[in-house]
Amino acid sequence: MNRTRLVIGLLFLAVSTAAFAQDPRTIVEEAQKRSLSMSQRYEGTLKVIDNKNKVTEKRWTFERIGSHGNSKSLLRFSAPAEVKGVALLVINHPDRSSDQWMWTPAVGRERRIALQDRSQRFFGTDFSFEDLEERDSDQFDYKLVDEETLEGAACWKIESRPKQKKVSQYSHSHVWVRKDNYVIVQIENFSKDKLVRRAKYSDIQRVQNIWTAHHIEMFDMGRNSRTILAFDKLQYNLPMKEEDFTIQAMRRER
Amino acid sequence: MPLIVFLMLLSQDYSQRGYVESLGVFYPESAVNDSGHAIGEIHVRHESFFRPWTNFQLAGGIDVRMDSHHQTEREFRFDWQDRSRKRPLLSLRRLSAQYHRAGLTLEAGKQFVRWGRTDIVNPTDRFAPRDFLTVVDNEFLGIEAVRGTYEQGSNTVDVIWSPRLTPSRTPLLSQRWFIPPAGAPPFMVERDIPDGSQAGIRWSHVGFVEFAAAFYSGFDHLPSYELVPGSFVVRETYAQQRMIGGDVAVPLRLVSIKGEAGYFQSPDHLSDNYVLFVVQLERQAGEWFFVGGYGGEAITERGRQTADFNPNRGMTRTILARAGYTIDVRRDIFFETAIRENFDGIWSKIGYSHAFGQHWRVTTDFNLIRGKPVDFLGQYRRNSHGTVAVKYSF
Repeated sequence: MNRTRLVIGLLFLAVSTAAFAQDPRTIVEEAQKRSLSMSQRYEGTLKVIDNKNKVTEKRWTFERIGSHGNSKSLLRFSAPAEVKGVALLVINHPDRSSDQWMWTPAVGRERRIALQDRSQRFFGTDFSFEDLEERDSDQFDYKLVDEETLEGAACWKIESRPKQKKVSQYSHSHVWVRKDNYVIVQIENFSKDKLVRRAKYSDIQRVQNIWTAHHIEMFDMGRNSRTILAFDKLQYNLPMKEEDFTIQAMRRER
Repeated sequence: MPLIVFLMLLSQDYSQRGYVESLGVFYPESAVNDSGHAIGEIHVRHESFFRPWTNFQLAGGIDVRMDSHHQTEREFRFDWQDRSRKRPLLSLRRLSAQYHRAGLTLEAGKQFVRWGRTDIVNPTDRFAPRDFLTVVDNEFLGIEAVRGTYEQGSNTVDVIWSPRLTPSRTPLLSQRWFIPPAGAPPFMVERDIPDGSQAGIRWSHVGFVEFAAAFYSGFDHLPSYELVPGSFVVRETYAQQRMIGGDVAVPLRLVSIKGEAGYFQSPDHLSDNYVLFVVQLERQAGEWFFVGGYGGEAITERGRQTADFNPNRGMTRTILARAGYTIDVRRDIFFETAIRENFDGIWSKIGYSHAFGQHWRVTTDFNLIRGKPVDFLGQYRRNSHGTVAVKYSF
C-alpha cells in the first residue's frame, strides 16, 4: 500500500514538474488541440449591460467549419427583430488576420470590415470584430507570466503577443489556462499597458468530449459595460459544407 | 396553399421578419403645386423565408401602405409588378426561388439585385430602380429577374437577365417633389415603358484589394422627357442604355478608399452618353463612422432628350459625406450631406434614433435643402422637411 502511494506520489510530482517546465506555447497548443473539432454550432443569447445597468438582449446563431487558423464561421442575428438576418462571415487564416464581411439585409450589399475597423464594437455588443476571430497559436509569441488560482482552479497565466504578420488592436493579452483540463478561463486584452477588455469563461461543461465554456462575459473597461454570451444547443462535429461559408451563402437570408 | 402554410409552420427552416412603421413628414414651406404641409404614412412590411430542402429556398415579402397625401393608390388590388406611378396599397415586395449547389446559386423571381461598392451614388447599380416619390428619402424596388452567381475561391461571376424593365417611381405631378418648368403651360405626361429585356454580367474579385468589372445592356430605369410637337403632351420614355464600369476598394492603414465608375451609352441617342464616377474614403473611429467623397460626371455626347429625371447624375459634381455616432446600444445620431461643387445646391440631413425595448424604435430627422432653381438639389429648396417615424419590428 505504502509502495503504491509512493509510486502515485512520484508520478504526480513528475507530471507537475513536467507541466511547470512546459513552455507556454506547448500549453496553448495543448489547449488548442483539446478544443479541436471539425465544426461547431450554437445558439447564443447576448445580454448587453451598459454602464447604467440597462440591459439589451440579442440572439445569434453561430456555425463554424474547420478549426482555429483554418476555420470559417458564419454568425447570423435572430433577435431583436430589427437586426434579424444581419450576418458576419469570418474567414480565418493561419498566417495572418482574418477576412470579415458583414451582410445587412436592409442595405442589400455585403461590406468588408477593414482591418483598421476591427476594434469597433460588433453591433452594440462589447465584443469587437477582432474578438470574433478564432485565435491560432502560431500567430502569437508566448511567455509564462505566473501561476494563479482563478475561481478555485489552478491556472497558468500566459502572456501572448501578436506576431508581426498579425494586425491587432491589442498589444498583448494575458490568458489564464486551467491546469486540469487546459480550458481557457480568462483573457485580458491590453492596448499598450492599458487593460481594454476582459473575457471571463465559465459554466464549463464537457460536450462531445470537449471541455467548453457555456458562458462568456466580456467587459469593456473603457465604457464600463459588459456583454454576457450564453451558449445553447451547442454541438460539435456536425456535417457542414464549405459552400455554406462563402459571401454568397452569407447573402442567403434565412 | 393551406398545405404549404402548414408545412411552413412545421418546418424548422421557416423564418420571418417585418415591421409596422408610422411616419409623419412636415414641410414648413409651401410649394407652388402642393399646399400640403404634413403627410402621414403607415407602412407594413412582412418577409418570409422557407427552406424545404438544404439547397432550395423560397423568399417572399409584401408591403401594405396607406398615406394622407394620395402618394399611395386608394384602389385595393394586389400589385405584382411595382410599375405604377403611385405606390400600390398592397404590393409584392419579393417572391423568388433560390437553388444552390457547390459554388453556383440560381435565383428566379422578383428579387433585389445590388451592384457596386460606394455609398450615396452607385454608377454600376443598374438593376436597382428606386421609389423617388420623395427624392431624398428613397428606397429600392424589386425586379423580376433570373440570376446566376458562381463563386470560385476569391472570384465571383454574377449573370442577370430581367425580362422587362421596372422603372423607378418618379415624383407625382401634383406634388411638391415634381418641379414644373418655369413658365410652362399645363401639360399631360404619356408614359412609354419599353418592352425589351435587360441583361448584365459582373465579375468581382476578393483579395487585399477588392475589385469588380460590370457590363449592362438594357434601359435606364430613370426617365427622359420629350415634347410631342404641336401638343401639350410630354412623353416619358426610358432610354436604351449600355454601361461598362467597375468598382474597387483598397484598405489602407488609416482609411479605406472606395471608387466606382461607369461609362453610359445610349444606343437610341435619347439620353446623353456620359461617365459617372465616385471616390470615397471610409473610416470608423471609436463610436464614430465617417464616409466622405466626391461624385463626378463627364458628358461625352449630348442626347436628344428635352429633360430628364436623374438623381444619380444630380448628385454628381458634388461633395458627399455621411457620418454617424453611436451614443449607446440604443441611441444613434447620423448626418448626411451633398454639396454641389459650385455651391448651387446643398442637401443636409441630421437625425436621431432611439430604440425602446426589443421591438420599438423612434427616428427623427431634419432635411435642409437650399440652392438655386437651376440646380438639381437647389430646385427642391422649398422642400426642407422634418420626419418622425415610429417603428415596431417583429
